[in-house]
Amino acid sequence: MSVSDMIKMALRNLWKRKLRTFLTILGVIIGTASIVVMVSIGIGMNESFQKQVEQWGSLQVINVYAVGNNSYYYDDSESANINKNDKKATEITVNTIEEFKKIPHVEAATPVMNEYMYFIAGKYVADASIQGIDPASMEAMGYKAEQGRVLQEGDSKTVVFGADVVSNFYNPKLSWRMRYDSPSPEVDILNDKVMVTTDWNYGTKYADKTIKPIKVDVVGTISSGGNDGYNVFMPIKELEKIKIAQSEYEAKKYNNRNAEKIKKGVYQNAMVKVDNMDNVKEVQESIKNMGFRASSLTDELETMKETTKMLRMMLGAIGAISLIVAAIGITNTMVMAIYERTREIGVMKVIGASLSDIKKLFLTEAAFIGFAGGLAGILVSLGASKIVNIFAISTNSNMLSSIPLWLCGASLVFATFIGIAAGYLPAKRAMKLSALSAIKTE
Amino acid sequence: MAEAVIKIRNVKKIYRMGNEKIPAINNLSLDISYGEICCLLGKSGSGKSTLLNLIAGLEKPTKGSIIFNKCHMERMNEDQLAKFRQQYVGFVFQSYNLLSTLTALENVTLPLIFRKVPTAERNKRAMKMLDAVGLSERANHKPSEMSGGQQQRVSIARAFINSPQVVFADEPTGNLDTKTTYEMMDLITDLAQKNKQTLVIVTHDLEISEYANRIIHLSDGKIEKIEHNQNRRQSKPNQEKGEQ
Repeated sequence: MSVSDMIKMALRNLWKRKLRTFLTILGVIIGTASIVVMVSIGIGMNESFQKQVEQWGSLQVINVYAVGNNSYYYDDSESANINKNDKKATEITVNTIEEFKKIPHVEAATPVMNEYMYFIAGKYVADASIQGIDPASMEAMGYKAEQGRVLQEGDSKTVVFGADVVSNFYNPKLSWRMRYDSPSPEVDILNDKVMVTTDWNYGTKYADKTIKPIKVDVVGTISSGGNDGYNVFMPIKELEKIKIAQSEYEAKKYNNRNAEKIKKGVYQNAMVKVDNMDNVKEVQESIKNMGFRASSLTDELETMKETTKMLRMMLGAIGAISLIVAAIGITNTMVMAIYERTREIGVMKVIGASLSDIKKLFLTEAAFIGFAGGLAGILVSLGASKIVNIFAISTNSNMLSSIPLWLCGASLVFATFIGIAAGYLPAKRAMKLSALSAIKTE
Repeated sequence: MAEAVIKIRNVKKIYRMGNEKIPAINNLSLDISYGEICCLLGKSGSGKSTLLNLIAGLEKPTKGSIIFNKCHMERMNEDQLAKFRQQYVGFVFQSYNLLSTLTALENVTLPLIFRKVPTAERNKRAMKMLDAVGLSERANHKPSEMSGGQQQRVSIARAFINSPQVVFADEPTGNLDTKTTYEMMDLITDLAQKNKQTLVIVTHDLEISEYANRIIHLSDGKIEKIEHNQNRRQSKPNQEKGEQ
């Protein structure tokens, strides 16, 4: 029997018993819809976690920390695990960065320096944490400018401001109380003359006049919110120069020989950008194997996902149970059909239907019930997911339902498969019916 | 006598009913030759239907062999039997046994569907066949929309569409009135004669047996006697049909 004949005949048999076929399909619809909606809520949960975590920074970026005795960056991240067998002190140099870049899936890498300095715009100052990075890699690291541009190759005395820093400017001449009460000053950061200084008392009567502020060009801003909004980005070479000058000055001023020596070209931190979230773990592992500590927001996300795994599995199980019930319904319908059609099966056998023809005919019918139920179930769950989302938004809940295309495809295939599996036993039974006894049934 | 298409050799068929063994066919041997019209005649319980089932491969003999075109049917498995029936055998049943979901045309094409004959070709052949049984106008009707005689015509068309070597008819007119019975017998025997096909009719009706060249009287699973019918009943010219 050809496939098209098989399908035609199967559909006709189902159509003949419309009501029963419809009721059986209804069972599959409910089963598929419940499984899809439940899984979609699980997926929606993960997506909302991801969005939440992404606000803290890019999920594709790994933060790398050198391991060393005198590193005060050591404690930056509690979650940064180091392989226990590797406790050698390490440092990050240009060579290390090149090695990071050679790891598969790594798109960009930059050394990182974190400092805390003061910015001056007109009569106002603001304190901010400065992140020194390789200017050429800023765009590749995933930073996006809200206004202007991010740092690029060739930049030197150039900075990019996080929007939250801009609103931090205050008048240093005012007392704390007055600063608090007066509205934050309007600073046109992109056009005003901006300078950076290491003098903590700039603008007050304690100001150290020997420290000369350095003029910088603000070429862009980064949107507020998240971690990046509170940072100012600067080419690392420039930041290093300022830092070295500061430490030399302080060593002279306080006559302190034990002052921390800044070694040029040696850094404690780095950032590595991976091409895809899924590869972050792998790259992170290779970096750890090189003797560094490494952490990423993916770690956080994994933890969050792990904690809700149980809940998601339970949701899926509830859906699965209703699909199992639907599968039993299919089996029942097909067994009934065999009783009804015993004679028909016998006749087909007598006039030349092979065993596999009979089996395939029943499997096709069962598969169609599964397929039709799956298709309709997906449509129903798309509607249900909309309703869940409307409800979730109105109650400000995070648990949104999301149905990706693969879920539609997978559930359709799964429902069809369930149909075939449920039809297998009845089909086998139909196949084994003796042609003779089938005809004898009057 | 012409060469035998079916050779039945010492066949026994024993049914078990609880502890009792009931012999339905008892050591029976018979040859059926090419192109003959053969009638298995007997009362109910004589074993005639069992014999038909054995020859058609619907049942296996307890003992003995049935050779169809040099193939031992008792040694074939279910799939081989299905192929065998596709190629060599046609069936006409007492209760027509048409598939109710299919139209007349589709019922006739069913054996061709199982043989994977392309749609266009099988429809052409089926229309020809329906024409031969005088039902071309009802091609698209469902069995439920046809009379018993019309349904049996469809079933006859289905039996002959594959040009099988042997057509089996099991009480083909059992459910029909007298007039239709004769029409039907005329039709079956004419079709078989025209294509030199072997026809095996099973009946308890003496009148029907008159259509056969050879009448095999069965009783208690044995051949009682074989009667050669020289003047077998033929379809009459139209004007006489009404008098039957």
